[in-house]
Amino acid sequence: MAHEFARLALPASIDSLPKFLEFAHAGAHAAGLTPTDRDSLDLVLEELLVNVARYAYQPESGDVEVAYAVDEPGTLLVEITDKGHSFNPLENGEPDLTRTIEDRPIGGLGIFLVRRLVDSIAYRRQQGRNTVSFRFPGHRDLRS
Amino acid sequence: MEIEPTQLEKAVLLKVTGRMDAESAPQFEHACERWISQGEKHLIVELDGLEYVSSMGLRSFLSVAQRLKSKSGSLILCGLHGLPRQVFEMTKLIAVFEVYESAQQAIAKL
Repeated sequence: MAHEFARLALPASIDSLPKFLEFAHAGAHAAGLTPTDRDSLDLVLEELLVNVARYAYQPESGDVEVAYAVDEPGTLLVEITDKGHSFNPLENGEPDLTRTIEDRPIGGLGIFLVRRLVDSIAYRRQQGRNTVSFRFPGHRDLRS
Repeated sequence: MEIEPTQLEKAVLLKVTGRMDAESAPQFEHACERWISQGEKHLIVELDGLEYVSSMGLRSFLSVAQRLKSKSGSLILCGLHGLPRQVFEMTKLIAVFEVYESAQQAIAKL
């Protein structure tokens, strides 16, 4: 059966984050996710949406859409779509987590965290749109 | 996010509460920079009240720690728990920062 997605499109900027998170909280509630899961979902959305805000449209601006559907109790399907430049955030390699504090690169941890928190993450470029889709399972033990 | 500073004998204690995200992380970094530019070498950040941290927050912690290290100082974290602690564990940053259970323990080590 096809999932019915709830959708919200807003300008791709950091200022839109609180509204996207509030929107996704309704999905988290519908899927029966715990407050801890909801914070983890916030983290995933923030990392991916900050990427879009930074890279998708520069130097122009445009919208980004967040869509979610309840897959099964405790699991959300999420899609994040923009019409910006072709950009696959999943292409970057794994950060080196073994460096000392002086040598540790400042960036690169966002997508690493996303990968740890979601299942089946995928990127596609279709009809001039970038879409990142993933399953967000609740109740995951996050410890490394 | 709220930041409440207390000047101690050998360090400044910064009590951070709320959420450190893309919007608020620069605020933390600026607060730390102000103390560093006033000559403070050691910053102790009490995180009992931190509910959330994203990679933007991690960037700020790393950047401040590297700045202090280059001046023979240190950034000391304490009271990490919940999701923020798990984020530090997943990224293995828990092993590269000085982390204590409480501010009292951190102060005693200076």
